Formats: sequence, structure tokens, C-alpha cells
Amino acid sequence: MKKKKCRQKLITHEPPRITYFVGGNMAANTSKDVNTNIPDYEYTDVNTKLFHIGSFRSEWLKRLKPSSYSFQAEDEEAFEANFAKELGVDPEIMTKVKSVCSLESLRCHPEDQQPDPEVVPPDSTLKTLVQRKKRQDHRASLKISKNRHDLYADELDRMTVGRKAESVADMVPEGEVILTINVYYPAVFDKFNYIRPHVTLVMTGSHSLAELRDAICCVSDLQVCGEFSNTPDIAPDFISKDHFKSAFFYFEGVFYNDMRFPECQDISMTIIEWAKARNFPPYSQAKMEDTRFIDLKIKVGFPYLYCHQGDCEHLVIFTDIRLVHKNDCMDKKLYPLLIHKHRVTTQKCAVCHVYIGRWITKNDQFAPSNPCLFCDKCFRMLHYDAKGNKLGDFLAYPYVDRGAFN
Amino acid sequence: MEFCRKQVKSDCEELLSRFQRTESVRFEIFSKIWREMKFSHIFYGTMTHEKRHFSRLVLDTACVFFLPPFNFQIRVGGLYLLYSLYRSQTASPLQQIRLALKDWEDVQKFEKDAVDAQHLDAVYILRQLMCIKAFHFTAMPSLLTFNKKRKVERSALCEKFVERTSRPQELINIELLEELSNVHKLYENLKNSVFATAEQAHPDPSLNLIQKDFVPEIRGTVVDFYKWQQMTDCAGDGEAEDAGEGMSSQQECSGRAERLASIKSKAYGQAAEAPKSRRHRQVEIDFSNNAGQSHMSGSVRMSRPSLKARTSDSVDISGDTWKDATTPTLISRLTTLNSASDEKPKQYKRFKW
Ligand SMILES: [Zn+2]
Ligand SMILES: [Zn+2]
Repeated sequence: MKKKKCRQKLITHEPPRITYFVGGNMAANTSKDVNTNIPDYEYTDVNTKLFHIGSFRSEWLKRLKPSSYSFQAEDEEAFEANFAKELGVDPEIMTKVKSVCSLESLRCHPEDQQPDPEVVPPDSTLKTLVQRKKRQDHRASLKISKNRHDLYADELDRMTVGRKAESVADMVPEGEVILTINVYYPAVFDKFNYIRPHVTLVMTGSHSLAELRDAICCVSDLQVCGEFSNTPDIAPDFISKDHFKSAFFYFEGVFYNDMRFPECQDISMTIIEWAKARNFPPYSQAKMEDTRFIDLKIKVGFPYLYCHQGDCEHLVIFTDIRLVHKNDCMDKKLYPLLIHKHRVTTQKCAVCHVYIGRWITKNDQFAPSNPCLFCDKCFRMLHYDAKGNKLGDFLAYPYVDRGAFN
Repeated sequence: MEFCRKQVKSDCEELLSRFQRTESVRFEIFSKIWREMKFSHIFYGTMTHEKRHFSRLVLDTACVFFLPPFNFQIRVGGLYLLYSLYRSQTASPLQQIRLALKDWEDVQKFEKDAVDAQHLDAVYILRQLMCIKAFHFTAMPSLLTFNKKRKVERSALCEKFVERTSRPQELINIELLEELSNVHKLYENLKNSVFATAEQAHPDPSLNLIQKDFVPEIRGTVVDFYKWQQMTDCAGDGEAEDAGEGMSSQQECSGRAERLASIKSKAYGQAAEAPKSRRHRQVEIDFSNNAGQSHMSGSVRMSRPSLKARTSDSVDISGDTWKDATTPTLISRLTTLNSASDEKPKQYKRFKW
């Protein structure tokens, strides 16, 4: 009996002891693992494990001196005095340290012979430059002129760099979290390629999901349903966004529904009930407008879902989360910032070949093809008289080009 | 920008291996190599709309060398590289150096090591970067877009930059072997005692779940690993002579025979393999000029009671089974060093003028 007891006791003690045993010499690792709000990879270079954005922020703030994340520039002299004092360095050595570490020591050419930084140095041994030279020569031979979109893309966020707000109340506070979010467009490609069209938005931790939703432009929100050949002037009033306001984000088992308007429906309910009936893990719901990013638990790099217009689905990826930096836009009112936009080729009007198509006609005797695409101006000139009366027989559907937001 | 990732990495590695050959951690030496290679020019001739992406890529690439698993000298080089690149970039606004929360502790440790060893230039540059707000305090080292690579391209770590693996030696040390051996014995005894009543001479063979001689076995494996490590080190004709700041020592190879003899004589050089965190300090005490300051803080590792102590607390065993388990074991004699290490640890010269 006693022996049996002994054995039982040993067994009950076994598990904790084994974990101790394994973890014993790796205490440094285990202490790291305990804190789940220090983001780490779930899959290397792909996505992180789950963590709470607000706690991630406090973990950083706990570790940093306030001066490290302050918007204020630190005083150079104070810095040096501090350094000298802390390391017990006398002024003479301090001067030497400073001069050794100065920018002067990085200059790769005589002071009076500054080469043109816009030109690839021709005789460099650096592999990067050898490649860049080759690439440049190749481009020159092709006579590629710089795309105006490239030029524009570079300007997108330059305007907001370090922008101060007019009033203190609109200032992004020090230590705030900045999120970079990619929203991908449903891929409708004739041929498969690796480019995933998306927009990149920058938001702060205090923004709500509803504010993200409002920043996502999608043609399906602007789609107008119906045939309007008899009343082309009222067509723009029937924009889908105003009709079908429901939408949700789906992150980590929770559907965040937009419930700001009385017309909004909880369109996630169908999915939740469907899942329940099939014994899927339970899902829950929350309101988009009541959820701030700082309250979310997410995985960086992981694809989530935004769904609107019933079935227009976008992938949403948080590509970066960090503390705000003094070079960031500090005017809250300018957020969400759009820092990347994918450009798609636009469908031009079949008549003028200049403007983007706004109307599709069918069974149209004036059209060179069936169906046919027209810009608003050409469409009206061709199909209506001066008084706006419809000429001839045809069907007209409003059309919103995917590149309309370029 | 992806097209030049490999080239950038290779240029950084070239600079750092030249730095490594100097066996120095001085910024003066680093900047000399930087100028010789005309490294500032790496930014020249990037197209306007590519400047920021290129800066991002260069900084992300360089930042890797500032963190483990690279050895102290390479990490100092990595820090200098980050500083130099940050200050030479042509992008506007400047791109920040990304520092991930999980890596913060390593940076702190690095700073402490540099301060303790009075590497003024390294400390100055790190703090200077902090002061001019060169860092983004991020969740992860780079932006993540769920990029699952079709074919996994091995971005090989530059082997000779990496701190020698000593985990197996650290983990399977005398202390652990002894404890392991005790536990094993205890376990065997326990099995015996359970079956003593069942009129069986030997325990049921179905209870032989663990290799009988697994303690010597595990020790043998680590010895083999250590020997192999020594061999490959020397094959690389002593180039791997670097390790953490002022530490690790066993790389000095003056001849194969001598080496093998020394291996035999001292199990597997456990003394030379003090835990990484302490190796550094050990050296300081040996070499420190300011004899006044001792950095020997209380060892954290020792504060935990040994497994043996914990076992005796938690296992309730009657009779004299326990007595056996507490006597010194053969293993402890096997792994004890015959003589103290006579090899000199390596240390980088201090910041002197
Ligand atoms: Zn959509
Ligand atoms: Zn037209």
C-alpha cells in the first residue's frame, strides 16, 4: 500500500519536474516566452504570433527612456556631458571620441571633389553598384522614361512628413502606436501574376476600425445597379455605398460589424450561425465603431478579411506596428494616411480614347461594338439631343472603372 | 528593390570580414575600411523614387549583423555599419533603423558589455543613434506581408561571423550530468523497489523505457560534437578565432596531436566554456586595468537549487534507496577537469589613445 502511494506521488510530481528539467538551463528563453506581448515569429519572415497591440505598446514604453521616443530633439551638449559623466571620460578623451566618430571619417573622397550623388560611380568594387550600373545602362538603351505614377507615388507621403497639427488637441501624442495596413483588392486577372494590387494605409492606435473602413475605397461601393438610359441624370444617386452599408472586418475569431447606421445589418450573423451548425469553433461579434486598434489582439503579417457589399472580399494585413516617430505626420486629422496605391490601367472611352469610361451601352445602334464603353461627355453627345431627350434604342448602365481612383 | 538584396548583403559581409581580420572593435579602423571601399557610394545613382526603398533595404540588411547570433566583434561592426549607413543615406526623409521589441534585450546586453569593456566609441555611437532618434521601435525587424516563399532561398548566415555554438556543452555540463545520473539511479531504484514485493528478481522489462546507460551515452555524444567542432575550426585555418567580447579560448590550435591530447586530458573543456553571459566578465577580471571595479555580480544561474535538492524535496521515498542516490557518482569524476585551462581568452583592446 505504501509503495503504491509512493508511486502515485511520484507520478503526480512528474510533469512539473520534467518541464523544469528541460527548461532549467534555458531560463533566458523561457522567461522570454512567458511574455506573449513581445511579438515573435509564428512563421519566420511570414507572420507573428498573436499579441495585444496596447500591451505591446506598454512593453516598449516600459523599456525606453521617455527621451528616446519624444518628439523633442535631444540637446547635443547635454548628451555629451551626460556621456562623459556616465562613462567617466575626461574632456580631452571626449573630444577625441567625438572626432573619431564624426561624419568626416566616413567621407570617401576629398572634400573639394564631391562626386555627383545622382550618378552611379563607374569603377566601384561594390557589387551593388556594379549591378546598378548594368541596370542603368540597360534602361538607358531601352529609353524608358520615368512613369508619372512613380513620381507621384514618391510624393504621396512626403507631404505629411513631420506635419504638425494646428491645435494641440489634434496632435498625435508621443508614444502612440502607428500601424501600417495593406488592403488588397479582389484579384480579377486574366492571367496569373504575382502582383497583388493593394492600398497601404497608416493609422494610429486610437483610430477605430470604422475609420479604417471609411478609408478603404472600393469600386463596388460606387457601383450603380440598374438601367438608366431614360434618366441618366439620376444614376449617380444610386450609389451602392449608400444603399448597402453593412460591412465587417474579421480578425481572430471576431466579426467587427459596422453598426453606425440604422440600415446596417449584422451581416456576419449568417456566417456565425452556419459555423455553429457545423461545430466550428465559436465566433463572436463586436462593433467596428467601438473597437480601437490599441484594443485588438492580432498577428502582424497575417491575412484577415474585410467584407462589404455582401460579397466583395478584401484581404487585410497589418504589415507593421511601431511607436510613433518625430518624422511621422503628427496631425491626427490627416489620418488615415494613404501611402501606397496600386495603379491599374483604366478602360478608356471608345469614342475619344481620352477619358475613363462611365457608361456601358448594350444593343446600341450608335456604338461600334456591343457592349460599348463611353465617357460621360461622349455618351451624352451621342445618345441625347440638346434638350436631353433619348435618341434611338439602347440600354445604358453606369460603369465604375477599377482605376477610377488613380 | 528585391533585385539587389543579395548584392547589398554581400557588400556588407565584405566590409565586415575585412573588419574582422583586423581583430579590432575600433571605429577608427572600421571607418578606414569604409573609406577604402568607398562605401558611402552605395547610395549613389539610385533613382529618386527608389531612394527610400533602397535605404530601407540597406538598413534592414545591416541591422542583422548588430544582433545575435553574431559574435561581439561583428556586432560592433554591425553597429558601426548601421551608423555609417544611416548618416550617409540620400533618402528624404531619412529612413529609420528598425529595432524590434524582442531584440531590445540583446541591444541592452550589448551596450552593457561595451560599457563594461570601456569601448567608448561603440557606446558613443549607439547612444548617438538613440539621441538623434535614428530608431523606429517596432514589433518586428521588417514589414511582414505573409510572403510565403515558393522556393525557400537559404540566406546563409556568414558562418565565420557567428558565435561558436556552445549550447550543448553549456547544457550538458558536469552539474547536469551528475543530476541526470542521480535521477536515473533514483528511477532505477524506484522500479526495483516497486517490484521487490512482487517476488521478481528484476523489474518487468516492459518498464525499461529508458536506455540503461543513457548518461554516459549523452556525455559521449557531446564529447564527439566538441571534437568535431575543434576539428572544423582548425580546418578553417584558425579563421574562426573570434567569439564574444574578450572570450572563448579553445580555438587556438597549434597542432592536431596536441589538441587531441588536450581533449583527452580534459573531457571537453568545460572550464573554457563558461556561460556566455559570464565569459565576458571572467575576462574582465583577468585583464581589467581598473582593478577597483569588479563587475562580478552575483551569478543568477546558481541561485536555483540543484535538481538533486529539488528531487529530494519532492520525492517521497522510504528506506535506504535515497542514501545511494546522494553519494558522489562516477560521472562526476569523469567530467571533472584534471587541470585548469591554460589557454588565454581573447580580448579586444580597449579604447586608448
Ligand atoms: Zn470591395
Ligand atoms: Zn469620350
